[in-house]
Amino acid sequence: MGTMGLALPWKARIASVPRQRETRVEPSEHYAGGPKPTIVDAITEDAALAAGCRAGNLQTYERLYSIHGARMRNLARNLLGNLGDAEDAVQETFLKVQRSIASFRGQSSFVTWTYRILINTCYDARRSRLRKKEVANDDSGETPRLEPRAPGAHPSLRMALERALATLTKHQRDVFLLYEVEGFRHAEIAGMLEITETASKNTLFQAKKNLRLILEPPRSSAAEAR
Amino acid sequence: MMMNATCKDRERIFEDGTPGEWAALEAHSANCPVCAEELKAWKSLSVAAQEMRDYTDSPSFWPRIERALAEEAVRKTQRAERRSWLSFLPSVPLSWQTAVAGAFVLVLTISAGWIYVHWPNRPEQHDKSLLKSAALENVEHAEAVYVQAIDRLAEETRPQLENPATPLLANYHEKLVVLDSAIADLRAQAGLNPSNAQLRHQLLAVYQEKQQTLEEVLEARKQ
Ligand SMILES: [Zn+2]
Repeated sequence: MGTMGLALPWKARIASVPRQRETRVEPSEHYAGGPKPTIVDAITEDAALAAGCRAGNLQTYERLYSIHGARMRNLARNLLGNLGDAEDAVQETFLKVQRSIASFRGQSSFVTWTYRILINTCYDARRSRLRKKEVANDDSGETPRLEPRAPGAHPSLRMALERALATLTKHQRDVFLLYEVEGFRHAEIAGMLEITETASKNTLFQAKKNLRLILEPPRSSAAEAR
Repeated sequence: MMMNATCKDRERIFEDGTPGEWAALEAHSANCPVCAEELKAWKSLSVAAQEMRDYTDSPSFWPRIERALAEEAVRKTQRAERRSWLSFLPSVPLSWQTAVAGAFVLVLTISAGWIYVHWPNRPEQHDKSLLKSAALENVEHAEAVYVQAIDRLAEETRPQLENPATPLLANYHEKLVVLDSAIADLRAQAGLNPSNAQLRHQLLAVYQEKQQTLEEVLEARKQ
């Protein structure tokens, strides 16, 4: 029985992780009872952010940054592999929001739209980095080079996961990062990546299955049926 | 009522289970070591993902973005101003355009008159070569005198325009801002190419328009 689980270097430490994360992890899409007041607040906040940015109000941009800046920076860092490129991408995203807010028609939430810009900006940056590498005849591959960062509780755990993530498809990596790392709901991810909610759920499932395969040693063919 | 889950349900619940189904799988796992291990491993990925979350603040980051936004806002304004100048004639109301066209003709006459006054020894030189290089100096002098006159007029109207009491005065104010920017632009171009008669004509036309506008402001004040 004990041989069936993940043989990750960090496996032993996982038990010490707070439960609070688990409650969000899987069934987070389903709220018992009516609409949560926090959702209504979020919609109001979103509309206010969009209106302020449209009006060119710098304080609104600052508010957008205070709410989402850290998360945007973290997402960009995980997509690009280093903080310098991540910060450039976030700054570029703010400028793109400023330049194109007039064309934002509210098809998605403003924040969703902003993250979509960020994700595209990160992929543009990766592509141009790749082109530069090609020009420089450097064939070190397109996976983000991971620079050291502030040590977390389990640095080896993070590094193992980062390496495994680099082997996933773009969509699987995006969905995993957005859902599991940044804590977005599938409905939000669907808007950011312009896919359906079902596709987001399925992609996350495939991503996690692949990550398990990468991180887990080959299993004995022990019978599993019951 | 508590629903049931079996080993077969596990993957589907991992993909898209409801809270009830997750609870059922947890309950099932209490007696199924395989599912218990799978569940633990599945959740451990989410736990590991937290290690990729670093929301530490970077105090210099917002000021950097703010600066970039402010610079972009300035550039945007400058682009808009340039566009509004480039589209100056088509965007102004028809009455203005007519006035400018009329002024164009008037200015030719006025310029000719001034040059005649300032150049008494050559009264016969009233041909159409007024703005050719030989006459350039005189035109510039005439222009300078004219500009001074307009500036005096502008000085007189300044109190009304700076604090426009009526929408009409506010409109005049806006119009004058546009005209001043057109003048600045034409002067810059004329500076680069002093003998370009076309530019001189345009410049004088805009000056004339400014003069008329200022006179209208004075009229509006009397009313
Ligand atoms: Zn089972």
